Amino acid sequence: MNRTRTTTTARPVPVVALVASAIVGVLVGLAITATEPIPGLPEPGVVVRVGLPVVRVLLDLAAVVTVGLCLLPLLVGFDRPKIAEPVLAGARRVAMAGALVWATTALVALVLQTAELHPGREVSFTAVREYIGTVGAGKALLFVAVFALISFALSLWAVRVGESVPAELRAAVALFALLPLPVTGHATNWRWHDLTMISMELHVLGAAAWTGGLGAVVVLLAANRTLLAHALPRFSKLATVCLGLVTLTGLVNGLAELAFNPTRTLWAGLATGYGVLFLLKIGCLLALAGLGARIRWRLLPAITEHRTTALVGWAAVELAVMGLAFGFAVVLTRAPLA
Amino acid sequence: MRDRRAHRRVLPRAAAALVLAVGALIGLAGPAFAHNQLISSDPADKAALATGPAAIQLTFDQPVQAGDGLNSIVVVGPDGQGQWQNGKAAVAGNIVSVPVRPLGPAGAYKIGYRILSADGHPVSGELAFTLTTAGTGTPAPADATAQNPAAGSSAPGDDGGVPVWVWIAGAVVLLGAGIFLAMRVGGTES
Repeated sequence: MNRTRTTTTARPVPVVALVASAIVGVLVGLAITATEPIPGLPEPGVVVRVGLPVVRVLLDLAAVVTVGLCLLPLLVGFDRPKIAEPVLAGARRVAMAGALVWATTALVALVLQTAELHPGREVSFTAVREYIGTVGAGKALLFVAVFALISFALSLWAVRVGESVPAELRAAVALFALLPLPVTGHATNWRWHDLTMISMELHVLGAAAWTGGLGAVVVLLAANRTLLAHALPRFSKLATVCLGLVTLTGLVNGLAELAFNPTRTLWAGLATGYGVLFLLKIGCLLALAGLGARIRWRLLPAITEHRTTALVGWAAVELAVMGLAFGFAVVLTRAPLA
Repeated sequence: MRDRRAHRRVLPRAAAALVLAVGALIGLAGPAFAHNQLISSDPADKAALATGPAAIQLTFDQPVQAGDGLNSIVVVGPDGQGQWQNGKAAVAGNIVSVPVRPLGPAGAYKIGYRILSADGHPVSGELAFTLTTAGTGTPAPADATAQNPAAGSSAPGDDGGVPVWVWIAGAVVLLGAGIFLAMRVGGTES
């Protein structure tokens, strides 16, 4: 995201790491869960089979970037408007672009999911409308596109008039737009539906705030020691909460899916593609906890004293691991336990 | 700029609104969206049968979404070519079934299915059974299997379809134009 005019001091390397590793995560996940084609049934084309998860992970990342940038004013605080304003002006502009990408990828995902349902057929407006009418996931994607556009409109307004558009409102709209998709995700057990649903929503909110917050703070604030010394301790608290939340909810959902499976035991489930991805995500989480601890206890004390640190490098590694986890997650939510 | 106290009051309220929104969405979602799984089938997987079954019945753990062309079951014969299902799959609650023609040569038959799970993801899988005594039936004619709902290209109201890549290219162009315009909007910083 180096499109803005104002953030000349921004370092986009961490974002590149995030996006690249997310796509790698998707491809690895697809390789793990690859299945033989069913004889006699037409397969969706490669564009759909690979394109759909890639578009879904881009959707997730656009959402994460938008949420992170909308949270940034809250992390920076409102007591240093003079120093903060140039950075926040850049953040508003990139948030606007992020929300546009978010809305577009939601609509493309809608088309691809329609195509997936009717393999070997071209996609018409009628088919997409029918898909929205019959399938819950279609309605959810439409909701996401609409809310992303509302988020875009709010950011556009904020670009025009500055921080007088409440940052809380922008953050709330962006976070709200995260909610529809997990409700229609399949990673839900029939019997424990309500509990796993709430857990899944919290998982998505936690992951988005964590990754987005880290990305926004590192990319936009790394060059500004005063703001960084102020915002990073706040983000560190948010990240600790998110780490706990994501771990707990992830375990609840993954284990519920594996343990209450009607046809498999927990151990047999771990050997499936779903189980392997679940274990890979636990691995990502452990790595993130280690990297987060290093930033918190080794780098943060130096940063609060306005000293130069290797924060960008470490954060880029952390974001790359987060990207992998997002890639695995996209495949995981679509992988059957078989 | 606002003072910090106002900021502190707003955040819990935003959080409360978010919690309410989650609750509302979950209430709306109901128990409908979850991933279907095959529980049992008739004939059972890897069964050995002396006479061909009259129908294939697949039982899932929860209701399957019914709809034209959304669910299909095919039965492929030992030669890997001929298809032996007789018509389209029908949904009744948790059960998807398709009638089967009288079977022909003895050997391994494969049942392939793709259904639309309640959560919107297609769920597919494969079962097998063995016919021990040859029957006298013939496979479905090729034009009937081409009418296979999943492959049917003559569905009503499907005119004007374009390939997926055209949709993607269109979206990329629109997005590029949108971002280009958005970046030129005059703001507080310029």
